[in-house]
Amino acid sequence: MFSLTKISKDKKWIKLSFAILIPTMLALMPTSWLPMEGLTIIQHRVLVLFFLAALFWVLEPIPIYATSILLITLELLLISDSAFIFFKNHGDGNFGASMSHQEIMGTFASPVILLFLGGFFLATAATKYRLDQNIAGVLLKNFGDKPKWVLLGLMCITAVFSMFMSNTATTAMMLSILIPVLKFFPAQDKARTAFVLGIPIAANLGGIGTPIGTPPNAIALKFLSQSDLAFGKWMAFGLPVVIIMLTIAWLLLMFFYRSDTKQIKVSLPVDFQTNPKAVLVYVTFILTILLWLFDFVHGMNSYVVAMVPVTVFLSTGIINKEDLKQISWDVLWLVSGGIALGLALDKTGLAKTLINAIPFESLNPYSLFAMAAFIGLFMANFMSNTATANLLLPLIASIGTAVSGLELVGGSELIIVGTTLSISCAMSLPISTPPNALAYATGEIKTKDLARVGILIGLIGLIVVIGMMTILNALNFLK
Amino acid sequence: MEKIYILLVEDQREVLQAVAKDLSFFEDAFVIEECESAAEAKTIMETIYKNGDYVALIIADHVMPDKSGIDFLIDVNSDDRFIDTRKVLLTGLATHQDTIRAINSAAINHYLEKPWKSGVLKETVKKMVTEFILAKGIDYQPYLMTYLDQAVLFERLRRTT
Repeated sequence: MFSLTKISKDKKWIKLSFAILIPTMLALMPTSWLPMEGLTIIQHRVLVLFFLAALFWVLEPIPIYATSILLITLELLLISDSAFIFFKNHGDGNFGASMSHQEIMGTFASPVILLFLGGFFLATAATKYRLDQNIAGVLLKNFGDKPKWVLLGLMCITAVFSMFMSNTATTAMMLSILIPVLKFFPAQDKARTAFVLGIPIAANLGGIGTPIGTPPNAIALKFLSQSDLAFGKWMAFGLPVVIIMLTIAWLLLMFFYRSDTKQIKVSLPVDFQTNPKAVLVYVTFILTILLWLFDFVHGMNSYVVAMVPVTVFLSTGIINKEDLKQISWDVLWLVSGGIALGLALDKTGLAKTLINAIPFESLNPYSLFAMAAFIGLFMANFMSNTATANLLLPLIASIGTAVSGLELVGGSELIIVGTTLSISCAMSLPISTPPNALAYATGEIKTKDLARVGILIGLIGLIVVIGMMTILNALNFLK
Repeated sequence: MEKIYILLVEDQREVLQAVAKDLSFFEDAFVIEECESAAEAKTIMETIYKNGDYVALIIADHVMPDKSGIDFLIDVNSDDRFIDTRKVLLTGLATHQDTIRAINSAAINHYLEKPWKSGVLKETVKKMVTEFILAKGIDYQPYLMTYLDQAVLFERLRRTT
């Protein structure tokens, strides 16, 4: 958890020692002490790595993407077929199966990582050619000058953009449009709060809409890959959730923060570039989205389609070497860490051993579903959404295969999707998400504003998500 | 964690203290170092560099005995150890020629005129340290609430993927 108010220096060391000490103690314990039938030495090590990852991602003694890399490196050193000599099998019968180092390293180039790279390229090109601001300007014209409609307009635009751009970038852009407008509101007008709250809420929720909307979706896709969930299929349930939640959020904001102002004008200069490169950006943007949506026509899956904008933009110089450096590689590597953790749980058989040791079968599938979604929502309020997904989704994926009654709620797939969507509904604190932090830093909103609306959205979101999953289950959607 | 320094270079002690007083707002997050000459500033910068810390910003007066502020900033500008360091000239007595040199050879980022307004100085420093923090890739989150210029931050974050 990062701090927004203190420049802390000493606490980092306490956190770091704690996050190293606990896993080390667990590692030094003889394998036979652990109450798990058939736990191999390799599985014991994976268990240690899981605790280490959890503590590092929760306490953040080092950046969260660095934790991912640490995790992957430790997997290579401790449990791969190319491990450090001390950690290789020296004739121990209970050693267990080591993992292929190629497979661990391959997580850096998983199809979902390349899908996100495609999304990043679209976003980079769009901002470079000011497509984002121009589209925002065009859309804004349709929402008139009544504060409540302008608020709805800003929230809709934010949500749509955050489906394709990062939630942080969208929030930064929309806040920079909004802040100069706020001075037209009287200082005591509650609408100021509504407007500044509306942006991060819409950005957080918008990420639900598409597979590339927010990194937790990537991790979900990875664990769903058996069912090969397509872009359009995700949008078929993601978009309705966004629309419902956005409407609820808008109503909540109008209920809590009624505006006294009669008229408000938000406008942006619209100035589309018409040079060939800019036109190519527009065409590629539309083409990629169409290809993503109509995969059942042309047969290329979302991952393959993602290579189209990457290739077009690189070969035409629309994205050059310098732009390439601006890509958020940290986000991609953060996701790789989650994938590598899931891989280790699965391939070493630790998932199965865990399931045998803990009586998951006795759990009611409905309560398991609700519990997973709630834990996701809860954790993501205090830590990074992606780190939450990195920890929870591999666990859910493995538990899901063991609990027999899960078909009732649609199997582990729906629990994974449900938890992922719930994670994006976590926004009750300034530190919950980067968009929240940016809005909070404007000084226009208080923690209690975020808490009031954020907690309500979280809880309503949980109900909406579970409702949506129930409908998908009834339709046999992910089968 | 590395320390981030703001250097004030000014030969008149009372002016130096006045600037420092106006910037006391930044003291909790940054180290504000008062230097009475370019030579003193250089020595301090060597130490900061050796310790692996950052010089985010230099605010220098122009007219000083020994080395002028602009000559000092020209030296800093050609020193690639301080390539991202922001340079502000704070002066009331620069000629037209001085100003040309300050822009062309020292590549100053901002020009403040004496007497300065406390609020303007504060906003300028915010803007400069925000640019420095983003240029260096330092985690901006701990500084977000108090010390950053939002327009600069938002413009940069809009381009993140």
